[in-house]
Amino acid sequence: MLSSVNPSVKAMTILIPGVLLAFMFDIFTPLAYLIFTVAMTFILSDIPVKRYLAIFSPFIIVALGFSWMTMLYTSDRFAGGEIVFSFLWFDITEGAIITAVSLGIRSLCIVALSLMFVLTTDSTKFMLSLMQQAKLPPKLTFGILAGYRFLPTFRHEFEVLRQAHRIRGVGRAKGIRGRIRQFRRYSIPLMANAIRKAERVAIAMESKGFTGSTGRTHYHEMKVGRKDWMFFSAFVTAFFAVVFASYLFGYLNIFGYQF
Amino acid sequence: MKRNQRKDDIQPLVDVSSFSFGFEEKEAPVLNDLSFNIQRGETVLLMGPSGSGKSTLALCLNRLYPAAVEGWTKGTIRFKGSDTASYRDGELNQQIGVVFQDPESQFCMITVENELAFTLENLHTPRGEMDGRMEEVLEATGMTEYRYRNIHELSGGEKQKIALASVLLLNPDLLILDEPTANLDPASRKMFIDLISRLKEDWNMSVLVIEHQLDDWVEQTDRVLAVNSEGRLFLEGAPDSVFYDRFQELKAEGIHLPKVVKTAVENGIPGRPLSEADLVSGRVPDPAASEHKSPAMPGSSGTILSLNQVAFSRKKKSVLKDVSLEIRQGEFLAIAGENGAGKSTLLQLMAGLLKPSSGSRTFLDKAFEKWDEKDLRRQLGFVFQNPEHQFITDTVYDEITFGMKLNGAGEPVMEQRAKELMTKFHLSGKKYSNPFSLSGGQKRRLSVASMLDDTPELLLFDEPTFGQDARTTDELMKIISSLQQSGTAVVFVTHDMDLVDRYCERVCVISSGTIAFSGSPDKLWNRPDLVAGARLRLPFRARIQQAVKGEKPHAVVR
Repeated sequence: MLSSVNPSVKAMTILIPGVLLAFMFDIFTPLAYLIFTVAMTFILSDIPVKRYLAIFSPFIIVALGFSWMTMLYTSDRFAGGEIVFSFLWFDITEGAIITAVSLGIRSLCIVALSLMFVLTTDSTKFMLSLMQQAKLPPKLTFGILAGYRFLPTFRHEFEVLRQAHRIRGVGRAKGIRGRIRQFRRYSIPLMANAIRKAERVAIAMESKGFTGSTGRTHYHEMKVGRKDWMFFSAFVTAFFAVVFASYLFGYLNIFGYQF
Repeated sequence: MKRNQRKDDIQPLVDVSSFSFGFEEKEAPVLNDLSFNIQRGETVLLMGPSGSGKSTLALCLNRLYPAAVEGWTKGTIRFKGSDTASYRDGELNQQIGVVFQDPESQFCMITVENELAFTLENLHTPRGEMDGRMEEVLEATGMTEYRYRNIHELSGGEKQKIALASVLLLNPDLLILDEPTANLDPASRKMFIDLISRLKEDWNMSVLVIEHQLDDWVEQTDRVLAVNSEGRLFLEGAPDSVFYDRFQELKAEGIHLPKVVKTAVENGIPGRPLSEADLVSGRVPDPAASEHKSPAMPGSSGTILSLNQVAFSRKKKSVLKDVSLEIRQGEFLAIAGENGAGKSTLLQLMAGLLKPSSGSRTFLDKAFEKWDEKDLRRQLGFVFQNPEHQFITDTVYDEITFGMKLNGAGEPVMEQRAKELMTKFHLSGKKYSNPFSLSGGQKRRLSVASMLDDTPELLLFDEPTFGQDARTTDELMKIISSLQQSGTAVVFVTHDMDLVDRYCERVCVISSGTIAFSGSPDKLWNRPDLVAGARLRLPFRARIQQAVKGEKPHAVVR
């Protein structure tokens, strides 16, 4: 279900709440929306819970790190309220804790939105949709798609390079200077091959009659239908509903201004 | 198949008149005053040594050059009577299809279906017709089952067939094949060539084949064009007259002649045969007469490397299971097998680049685990498929002396040894050149030279001749056999059974994770089940021999 939503619409759907969330400094709003997003992800797709958690959990650690640092170094503007506890020479206030926890949840919320997009979207269809709906020029979209094909080749080539250098007796680089030299050694053959391949692909594409003009027919016609708009409005409406509920309960805090 | 009826035009499909092309105004042109034509329905073979501008001509014919590069042209190319310069952007490309050499860089989409759709979209094909057109070309190339597969999972031969299929969608009047089989193994190569010969009639195309490996193409060729290293056309005519009347001239120009022609001329067989079947009916005495094999080093029977019940898995998937193999001092061993059979993995296990998941390995009577990395690398060299991967310094001299420096050799010793190696490998004039700026053959030679700072006991090669032209291959094989003559054991992975037949004493065939065969090449040629199972193609000599004995030729690989 999620994978059949038009990719451009889906991108918009995560972009709007994603940007607006950045201004919500209380805990309730992002937490409620996080729960909504995760719930919708599982209801509308068949991603295995285990796989989702495996990808999601590293971000929890990152979010914890964000929170911790924010708690210790909260800007004076948000650090009001009573001192809850002291840690070394830091005095942690109530305001600092709220800001920190909110930031952690906000980042998790954005991760959840992004995962919902990444795990359910086919890269080819996303590009085709950007071309057909967002009117991106074909030169760019097919260029990106052609480049995308190279990623696995690139990784394989990097492995071979490392082996080849080991054979030659180039050990692990020591120090910053050594690292820079090693980077140069790897990058020259990788770049040389990449440029050669890019040229060949470009020529092959042109030889099949590709001119980059926008007047072309489409095998996969990417359409925007009622379902897509329903999906879009569900997520945006849910966001404003959460904000409103937060206001009613008296939690709402936008960029430090309590409502 | 093709719907538009053949037009009985008298004018040629392609008419090139005194056409020249060059990249720089001051430098010598790449293509020099070429005049020739291609008639409708004709198959023309264009040959010439590496660097003679053959591929450039292909791109000039469909006007991708000079548009895509800085360059100048002189003279005209006419397509269906009109100057190619007068065609609109992309219009010419939709009537001329090109299949290029490198199967890895001809596609821009992930799946076969989307790649085919890409071409159809370029042609503004209405959406409703696309499905039928795709089915048609997939059926024509025998790739129907591959429609929903990812392109990067296919083998080289399959990729080239998809490249051909997507070009057929253009319904081209002219099909240009720019060394389409250079990166393929011999069995896939033969299949591709046979496919072209079947398709060109049905699709009513003229075909221009650009190749330096002429075998198998000659039978279906109507006319031959030869370009020399200055980019000039110096020969033109029917294949039998060109190959048999101008034999010496072609040889002098460094053009590789078809094996059938060579055998016929050298053995004085009458009737100017161009195909293997014709050659056989002309009664060959014994094509083995001109071949020779490097003998093993006398009195060398000590084992230098042994693998004992070695197994290896990658990501829980078993690649090799229970491989036991001994390599003797100074021997010349080839490893063959299907794509993905684990040949390269086996080689990397031998080199100590990978660790086996079970089993033991010893090198010079010492377990691999006990070897110090530095000492091991002095005794065991490894040459990779792409020479560029091995380059780590900025000059040829530094490249050759890199290992010596690591081993703490003095400047005079290094100087002396480097000089010897550069002379031996014909790199003397390139001492201060950047390795990346060398030609393909020079790069290949340098990558071998850089392994020879000490005389290693064992040299491993991972498909060293893959994608190389015939001359580079010859040069390399000469170097390898001279190393082997001086006592170094050589193991190389290859698909090319002609090389195996000519140089190796022993060949191992890897199949389903184990060694399915180990023994002399001659014994392998008599095991058609193994040869076919590993998707190998019998060498020319064995094919002819078996055909002379009355067995059906080409019975092995279809």
